[in-house]
Amino acid sequence: MSNEKFKLHPISAVINFVKGLKDLIIPFLIIFVTNGFNFNIDVRQDGFWIEIIPTLIVVVIAFLYLFSGIIKWWTFVYWFEDNELRVKYGLFVKKKRFIPFDRIQGLNYKEGIFHRIFGLVQVMVETAGSTNGRPEAELTAITKDAAQRIEKETQRAKQSLDVLTNVEQLHDSSDELLQSERTTSRVVRKMTPKDLVILATTSNGIGVVLTGLVAVLSQFAEFIPYELIYEEIAGFIKFGFAVVALAVFVVFLFAWIISVLITFINYYDFTIIEENERLIVSRGLLEKKRVTIPLNRVQAIKIVENPLRQLFGYATIVVESASGGFGEKEKKITLIPLIPKKKMNGPLQELFPQFEWSPILSKPPKRAKPFFYRIDFIWLVPIVGLCTYFFYPFGLLSILLIIPTILLGIWQYRTAGYSIKRNQLTIVYRIISRVTFVVEKKRIQALERRQSYFQNRRQIASIEATVMSGLAGASAKAPNLNVKDVDTVMDWFDRSKEGIEEGIEQQE
Amino acid sequence: MRQQPIYQIPRKGLTVWRLYGLFSTLLVLIITGIICFLTYKFEGPSLIYLIVALIVLLVLIGSIWIPKIRWNHWRYEVREHEIEIQNGLFIVKRTLIPMVRVQHVDTAQGPILKKYDLSNISISTAATTHIIPMLITEDADRLRSRISELARVAEDDV
Repeated sequence: MSNEKFKLHPISAVINFVKGLKDLIIPFLIIFVTNGFNFNIDVRQDGFWIEIIPTLIVVVIAFLYLFSGIIKWWTFVYWFEDNELRVKYGLFVKKKRFIPFDRIQGLNYKEGIFHRIFGLVQVMVETAGSTNGRPEAELTAITKDAAQRIEKETQRAKQSLDVLTNVEQLHDSSDELLQSERTTSRVVRKMTPKDLVILATTSNGIGVVLTGLVAVLSQFAEFIPYELIYEEIAGFIKFGFAVVALAVFVVFLFAWIISVLITFINYYDFTIIEENERLIVSRGLLEKKRVTIPLNRVQAIKIVENPLRQLFGYATIVVESASGGFGEKEKKITLIPLIPKKKMNGPLQELFPQFEWSPILSKPPKRAKPFFYRIDFIWLVPIVGLCTYFFYPFGLLSILLIIPTILLGIWQYRTAGYSIKRNQLTIVYRIISRVTFVVEKKRIQALERRQSYFQNRRQIASIEATVMSGLAGASAKAPNLNVKDVDTVMDWFDRSKEGIEEGIEQQE
Repeated sequence: MRQQPIYQIPRKGLTVWRLYGLFSTLLVLIITGIICFLTYKFEGPSLIYLIVALIVLLVLIGSIWIPKIRWNHWRYEVREHEIEIQNGLFIVKRTLIPMVRVQHVDTAQGPILKKYDLSNISISTAATTHIIPMLITEDADRLRSRISELARVAEDDV
């Protein structure tokens, strides 16, 4: 193996700098706003130097970012040696990181606007250890050829390792990966523009855009001549209902278009490819992202249907993965943003053959129904009380909140359920969206049975399963089931109970 | 019906919890004392005295009763293949942690616990951390080494 050392593309200095600048935007804005936009440029004026200090500090920090960006690029080298990817950077404090190829779970790519212009790519190296949300190593900008080279080098190292060492030596997380190393890639799903429009329409994006509009308007509240507008609107309403309806329609249309735009920017050309027991998800219009998820790192699968999508028979599929994704927030990886429920079982069955995708659910008993909305009264009562106290006559209307609360509770009751089949636990619950949580026994980190005094009296309990996902873990709760059912799940999970009750089924 | 875990935490644990309760009551007393003083000085509404008295009473009752309920609910059991913990105040939670999933076990002891010769054990999995509090130090140490041994031996055959 050649010990040639590679550098990043010079543009990475600029990218580092811009990334640093992004952090500065907020303090900079604060300084601007507190100064009330009126900067005096006259040096001789009183207090010029005092007023300029915050701005100076920001400028100095910006320069520091620029220098650190350049230095990082200047000192950064990576090379391949001894079946390892080695990375070194730093001027005064030199940092070295050696990553063995067989530890690499996947390479994630990201192409920002800068990258697109120069045909570059940002590479993030994911290992099993990088669960704290940060990739093990990050190559800010390299050419696509160089990225391919890393990939090839990884593949080659893994293959030669496969020949050298015996498979038994490798534990379960890596042997599956090595066995089927010959490339067999196939497209699992692609999103068409039509899909994206539906995705945007049924997402809560419109609501977000509307609240965003309100937020922006309230920020500029002082500049908007409300009284004038109010008069205008009063005149407006005289024209009749149609005009008002039209105006509302236009606002909604506007919000919808923005929501569609955002969806296109984020999800354009969404493709999932299965390759060597790995899933490769790529998406993005301006900023292209490519995430690799090793199938054996998938901890649990969630099928999420928000009310609107449930109505039209669509679902979103999300996986909880022990690694992968970009940063902490994206530990949950959207596998398929939108898929008709009827067609869902096919691809899921292919990707995760170990699971049963339409299990028969055990429902909570009828006597559990009140438990779904009763607890909500605890926070509802003070709200109603406060509303009534402060806005006396109209505040009483807040009592009406009770109706949707009860309805939502009943809906949650109708949705909830669980199922055990061999080593698979399925939990279905609703907060607002219907969530189907599917997990294998070996992925559950802890199982918890919860029962309040009142639940105990009516022989009801809840059960919550926690799996690994990023730092904190992710959990699903099947609320208010029959106590017997909950104990069945506990016994199913309890290894010392095996062979007594569920044993026969376990052995299969 | 599933059996409760067998072991309770020692009686001394309850005493320590009550002690913690006493400390928090003292803290509340100091704060409310300041509030009362300020109200008196600036001639605030006398309603404040009533609220303050109510809060103090609640905290006092809370710090006597809550530890008792908690202590009554606390149960734990360490078996060959799993750890079972039961705890909770109003909602009784019973947690099952398979030995295979245990990543590490720690014991910790603060100054008050040291005085009473007690220790807390915390059990970490890849996603969660569970604490068994107020065990006699000797037992805690023994339990810790037992769990770590069992966790090492436990094999993933599922």
